[in-house]
Amino acid sequence: MQQMIFNLSLFREYIANYMKTKLTYRADFWVEVFSDLMFSATNLIFIFVVFQHTPALGDWSEAEVVFVYGYFMIPYGIFSTFTNLWNFSERYIAKGEMDRILTRPAGSLTQVMLENVDPPSLIGSLIGLCIMGASWSQLGLAFHWYDPLVLIVMTLGSVLVYMGLYTALATISFYTDAPTGIAPLMYNIQNYGRYPIQIYNKGIRFLLTWLLPFAFVGVYPASFFLERHRDLVMAWLTPVMGVIFWAIGLWIWRRGVKRYRGAGS
Amino acid sequence: MASAYLDFIRIRFLTMLAYRVNYYSGIVIYAINIGAYYFMWKAIYGSAETLGGFTVAQMTTYIAVSWMARAFYFNNLDREISNEIRDGSVAVQMTRPISYLMVKMMQGLGEGVFRLLLLMVPGMIVVTFMFPVSLPTDPVRWVIFFVMIWFSFLINTQLNLMTGLFAFFVENNEGLMRMKRVLIDLLSGVILPMAFFPGWAQAALNWLPFPAITYLPSSVFTGRLAGGDVWNALAVQAIWFAVLIVPILLMWRAARRRLFVQGG
Amino acid sequence: MLAIDVHQLRKQFKVQKNREGLKGAMLDLFKREHTEVMAVKDISFQIPQGEICGYIGENGAGKSTTIKMLTGILVPTSGRILVNGFVPHQEREQFVGSIGVVFGQRSQLWWDIGVIESFRLLRKVYKVDEADFKARLVELVETLQLGDLLNRPVRKLSLGQRMRCELVAALLHNPSILFLDEPTIGLDIVVKTEIREFLKRLNREYGTTILLTTHDLQDIEALCSRVIMLDDGRIIYDGGLEELKERWGKGREVQFQFTDPISLLDVSGLTSGFEGVRWTKENEVTAKVWIPRELNVSDVLSRVVGSAAEISDIKIFETNTDEIVREIYKTGSPEAKEQAKEAVRG
Repeated sequence: MQQMIFNLSLFREYIANYMKTKLTYRADFWVEVFSDLMFSATNLIFIFVVFQHTPALGDWSEAEVVFVYGYFMIPYGIFSTFTNLWNFSERYIAKGEMDRILTRPAGSLTQVMLENVDPPSLIGSLIGLCIMGASWSQLGLAFHWYDPLVLIVMTLGSVLVYMGLYTALATISFYTDAPTGIAPLMYNIQNYGRYPIQIYNKGIRFLLTWLLPFAFVGVYPASFFLERHRDLVMAWLTPVMGVIFWAIGLWIWRRGVKRYRGAGS
Repeated sequence: MASAYLDFIRIRFLTMLAYRVNYYSGIVIYAINIGAYYFMWKAIYGSAETLGGFTVAQMTTYIAVSWMARAFYFNNLDREISNEIRDGSVAVQMTRPISYLMVKMMQGLGEGVFRLLLLMVPGMIVVTFMFPVSLPTDPVRWVIFFVMIWFSFLINTQLNLMTGLFAFFVENNEGLMRMKRVLIDLLSGVILPMAFFPGWAQAALNWLPFPAITYLPSSVFTGRLAGGDVWNALAVQAIWFAVLIVPILLMWRAARRRLFVQGG
Repeated sequence: MLAIDVHQLRKQFKVQKNREGLKGAMLDLFKREHTEVMAVKDISFQIPQGEICGYIGENGAGKSTTIKMLTGILVPTSGRILVNGFVPHQEREQFVGSIGVVFGQRSQLWWDIGVIESFRLLRKVYKVDEADFKARLVELVETLQLGDLLNRPVRKLSLGQRMRCELVAALLHNPSILFLDEPTIGLDIVVKTEIREFLKRLNREYGTTILLTTHDLQDIEALCSRVIMLDDGRIIYDGGLEELKERWGKGREVQFQFTDPISLLDVSGLTSGFEGVRWTKENEVTAKVWIPRELNVSDVLSRVVGSAAEISDIKIFETNTDEIVREIYKTGSPEAKEQAKEAVRG
C-alpha cells in the first residue's frame, strides 16, 4: 500500500515534468494527437468501406463492429499512455539508460513507465468512449446502472493484458540487443482482436484467446454490452486474463533485469 | 563509385541476416496478416460471389501478393534518417564523397532484397499451399509484376526519404512518420483494394502516389488489369517516380543550407 | 566498518559470434555460436569508510563492469559483494538509496527541463525530506557555484556545468558512498580542478567514501590515497599511491636542451657504459634521458655536461604516475602473474 502511494506521488511528479517538457514543444503535442486521430480514423474508414459492400461481418452488423472498435480504443489509449515502451530497447538497452534507472530507489519498471508517459494517447480513449456511446444508442441497447462499473472493470482487465504482453516483450531486449521485430508483430496481431472472433479459423481464434489474448482487449469484453452476442464467460474472463498476463509480464521483467548487461564496456 | 553503393546493399543484407529473431518474426507476421485478412475477407464476402469486381479467388490472391510485395518495398528509412538527423550523425555522413540519400536508398534495397529472397519466396510457396491462391501462368505478367514492385519500392522509399528529411525542419516528426505509415497501408491498397472505395474517393486517390505502391502491381498480378491497362499502370508508376524526385531534391537542398547555416 | 567488501567477484558475458561472409550469416540464421568472455576475474578488495579510492585500468580492463556490479546494475556471475551492508543486486531498491552514482558519459538529468525540476523529482524518488532537501541544495549550489544555472534546461548547459549539476543530483540524498565513473572526462582543466576540490571537501566534511574510475591520473594524484589497478579483469595493484610510485617509479628523467641540433645516436653515445639508460628525442635540439633508480643521476649528468655538446638548459623530472602506469601495462607486473596463478589454484 505504501509502495502504491509512493508510486502515485512519483506519477504526479513525472506528469508535472512531462507537462513542462511538452510546453516547450507545443506543436509536437498537437501533431501527435492529430496523428493518433488519423490512425483511428483510417481504421474506422476500413470498417465503413467494408460495410458498403456487405451487410454483415459474420453475423455482426456495422454498428456492432463499430461498437467493438469504440471499446477497443479505450483500453488501448490508457495502455499507450502508461506503457509507452516502443523504443525501450533502443533507449534503455542500446544507449544504456537502464544504468541510471537501476541506480535509483524505485521500481525499475515503474520508472521506465513513468519516464515515458504519453498523455495525448488518452484522447484516443475519449474518442473511443464517444464512438461506443454513439453505437450504443444506434443499436438501441438498454442501459443498466452497473454498465459503467463493468466497463471500468473490463477496461482495467484489457489494459493489464496489454501491459503484461508488452512488458514481457520489452524484456526480450535484456537478452538480445538485436532488433527482433516482435513489437510490430504484436501490434499487428492486436488489431485482429477488435473484429468478431468468430470469423477466424480455429488456429487464429486459439491464438487470439489464449496465447496472445488480444481478443480480450476488444471483442470479448465488448460483447458483454452487446445483448445479441453476449458471451458472459469470455467477457468475465477479461479481468482474470488481465491479472494473469500482468503477473506473467512482471515476473518475466524481474528475471530479465537480472540479465541486464549494460551498454559498452 | 557504383561498387560502393552495391556494398551498402550487401552490408544491409548481411545485417538483416544477423538478426535472426527479426527474420523469424517477420515470417510469422506475414503469415498471420495474410491469414487474418483472408478470413476477414471470407467473412466480408459471406455468400456474395463478387465484391467491388473481385471474385473470392482474386481477392485471396490479391491479399497474398499485396503483402508479399509489401515485404519487398517496406522499409524504415524515414525513422533511420530522422534519427540520424537528430543525433547529428547525418552531418558526418554528408562529409563522405557519396550521396547520403543514395546510400539510404541502397540500404533500403538491401533490406528489400533480403525480404524478397528469404521472406517473399518461401512465404509465397507456403501461402499457395494454405490458401486458394491462383498464380498467373503468363511469364510476361510475372516479369511486369517484378518491374512494377521495383517501382513500388522506389516510390515508397521516396516517400520515406521525404518524411525522414522533415526532421531537418521540425523538432519532432514522429507524428508525421506514423501518419505516413498509416496512410500508405490504407491508401496503397494493402488492406483495402481501391475498387472498394466509393467513387469520389477513388477519383481523389488517382491523384495521389499511394495506389501506385500496391494497388497497381497487385491488380496486374491478379489479372484485374490486362492489355493496355498494364502499360498504363506502369506509366503511372514511372511518372510518380519522376515527379517525386523534385520535392526530395528541393528538401535536400534546403536541408543542406540549414545545416551549413546552423552548423548542425 | 567496511564500506565495500568484495570477495572473489566474477562477471562473465556471453558474446555472440558472427560468422564471416554470406554463407556464415546464413548458417548463423539457423545455429548461433557463442563465446564466453570473462570481464572480471575473481577479484577481491575491501574499502573502509571514508576512503577515496581510485580504480584505474585500460579500456576494457573491467572497471565499469565492477562499478556496475557494486552499484547493483549488473548481477555478478559469482562471488560476494557487500556495499554498505547490502548485497547490491538483491536489495537494489533499498540499497541504492544509500549511494550516489555519477556516470560521466551519461546524464541523470532530464534533458528538456530546468535543472531544478530534475532535482525536485529526484528528491521525491529518493524520499528526501523537504527541509533536508532545501538545506542540502543551498549548500551544494553554493559550493559548486550553480546559482544562476538552476532554471536552465540541461541541454543548454556546457559539459562542465552539467557535470557539476550531475554531482548535485547524485548527492541530494546525502549518500555515504559516491561512485564516479569517469567524472572528469572531457572537461577543461579549470572545471577538473574545481570538481577535485569539491570531492576532497565532501570526503573531509561528510566522510563520504568515494570510488572513482578515471583515465586521468591527475585525478588520482589529486584525490586518492589508494589505488586499485586492473588489467584484463584482474587486480594487478592494490595499495597506496606513494608506494606505487616507490615500487615502480624506478627512475628519473632529465631533459637536456642543446644549442646545436643533435641526433639520438650522438646523445646515446654520451652515456655508453651506463646500464638501462634510455634516450628519447623531443625535437631537433632537445632530448630526454631516463635514468634507472640504481644509477646516480649526478654521474649521468656530469658525463653529459662534460661532453663536447653545448647545453643551454637542463630539467630533472620525477617520474609521474602516468609514466608508471604506462610502464606497468607495458611490462605486466610480477604481482599480476602471481595473482593469476593464485586464481588458477583457487
